[in-house]
Amino acid sequence: MTTEASQHPLELTNDFAPGESNFIKVDNFKFFYGKKEALHGINLEIPSRKVTAFIGPSGCGKSTLLRNFNRMNELIPGVHHEGDITIHGTSIYDPSVEIIALRRRIGMVFQKSNPFPMSIFENIVYPLRIAGQNTRSVLEETVERCLRSAALWDEVKDRLHDSALGLSGGQMQRLCIARAVASRPEILLMDEPCSALDPIATAKVEELIIELKKDFTIVIVTHNMQQASRVSELTAFFYLGNLVEFDNTRKIFTNPSMKQTEEYITGRFG
Amino acid sequence: MHKEPSKVHTISIFTTALDQLRSSVLKMSSLAQLNLKNSIKGLLERDDDWCNNSIADDEEIDLLEMQIDHEGIEVMSRFQPVASDLREVISSIKIGANIERVADQAVNIARRARKLNEHPQLPELHLLDRPIRLALTMFDDAVRSFAERNATLAVELKSRDKELDQLNRELTDVLINRMQDDSANLPSYLNLIFISRCLERIGDHACNIAEDIVFAVSAQDIRHPSKQQ
Ligand SMILES: Nc1ncnc2c1ncn2[C@@H]1O[C@H](COP(=O)(O)OP(=O)(O)OP(=O)(O)O)[C@@H](O)[C@H]1O
Ligand SMILES: [Mg+2]
Repeated sequence: MTTEASQHPLELTNDFAPGESNFIKVDNFKFFYGKKEALHGINLEIPSRKVTAFIGPSGCGKSTLLRNFNRMNELIPGVHHEGDITIHGTSIYDPSVEIIALRRRIGMVFQKSNPFPMSIFENIVYPLRIAGQNTRSVLEETVERCLRSAALWDEVKDRLHDSALGLSGGQMQRLCIARAVASRPEILLMDEPCSALDPIATAKVEELIIELKKDFTIVIVTHNMQQASRVSELTAFFYLGNLVEFDNTRKIFTNPSMKQTEEYITGRFG
Repeated sequence: MHKEPSKVHTISIFTTALDQLRSSVLKMSSLAQLNLKNSIKGLLERDDDWCNNSIADDEEIDLLEMQIDHEGIEVMSRFQPVASDLREVISSIKIGANIERVADQAVNIARRARKLNEHPQLPELHLLDRPIRLALTMFDDAVRSFAERNATLAVELKSRDKELDQLNRELTDVLINRMQDDSANLPSYLNLIFISRCLERIGDHACNIAEDIVFAVSAQDIRHPSKQQ
């Protein structure tokens, strides 16, 4: 790989104080599926252009919080929230905020890669076409830029017009990342993006994450502790709908402050 | 002080592997304690047999040091320990290396004692009583801090090391003076100076062990306080 970040992996271990240049601010946020309270008053400040990892046992609310950042959870009937989430100081619930515009600012990558049943090229330009952009040169430039930033260009440049469904799992996932960055979002949310990938594809996606944080604020949900320690600067540990601990990743994995965090990351849970 | 994780690992073989590493360190420490006591006995009772024992048994200690390294690496590669588990593995490996060097000092003392035993006893031998007692208790306490995960006892060791350093300096001065008045016994005086220096080194290793224990138990680095912010 040729990225600068990969040559300077130590960069990741730099100390970083939570709260510094905060970008996404979660303020006493509660979330309800019907009567069930899935998040109990979360307070969290996610800094810009860093990788923040969400960890915690299944069902603790990681995906719920992540999917609130772009208001995706509102699509589920019977849900409501209390508290607030602000991005750059503006509430995402402010009446002036358009949901479509919000989602364009926030890209999302899911556990299962979900390429559209169309060509590699069309997958990437899809968000641009939706926004009315049809100029050939702009589309071509975007495809190359996004595929390069997803470290996929060399592998697919000769078959851009083949179906995306013919790619390997790892390539599909990187294609989805390329598509997510095509609309130049500010924030990239990733929910277990590597859980279906082999170690090599995982390594490529991780390297990509480290490279992308130069331009994006990244929040990644992962069940892989080593992945969290490799790619993130900050780690938030959730348990039963509460944020138990939020600190430097290095601190969390060498000397966490909370006993519950210690038990979880050392594998002494349940 | 520290929130020791109370539960065992969900993967029980992880707990078993950490317990195994710990018991290897404990086994190595009690062997080193024994060798050190044998050397001292050979010195004070002027009995080469004890010295020879200590020298012969050093081989087993070397093997145990390698076993500890091996077990530590095995735990890291199989279980990727983090937090307190990671600190425990790292400090066990470092403690193993320090115990090995204490045992080497026991061998050095035994070799010098055998040389001293070839000549009539010098009255100055009793000057070693205090540094011997101090070095032995420091090492014993280092081992005890490890066995009990007792960071308080470990921290307290550091102050005693200064006393041992001071004793070594004073003793060396006295012996150098004596050497000049009594040049016929010069080699024996040199051997006493050398043994005093070995005891001082044992104190240093006990301190290193203590530092690693504090790190394992409370994640604090108490080495070189002046160099840390
Ligand atoms: N659509 C839904 N309707 C009702 N309850 C839900 C819904 N989605 C999630 N929940 C509940 O909310 C809680 C948090 O779920 P969430 O999916 O956020 O957990 P998670 O931390 O992402 O878990 P996992 O690691 O398994 O993905 C759980 O108790 C879950 O059962
Ligand atoms: Mg989830």
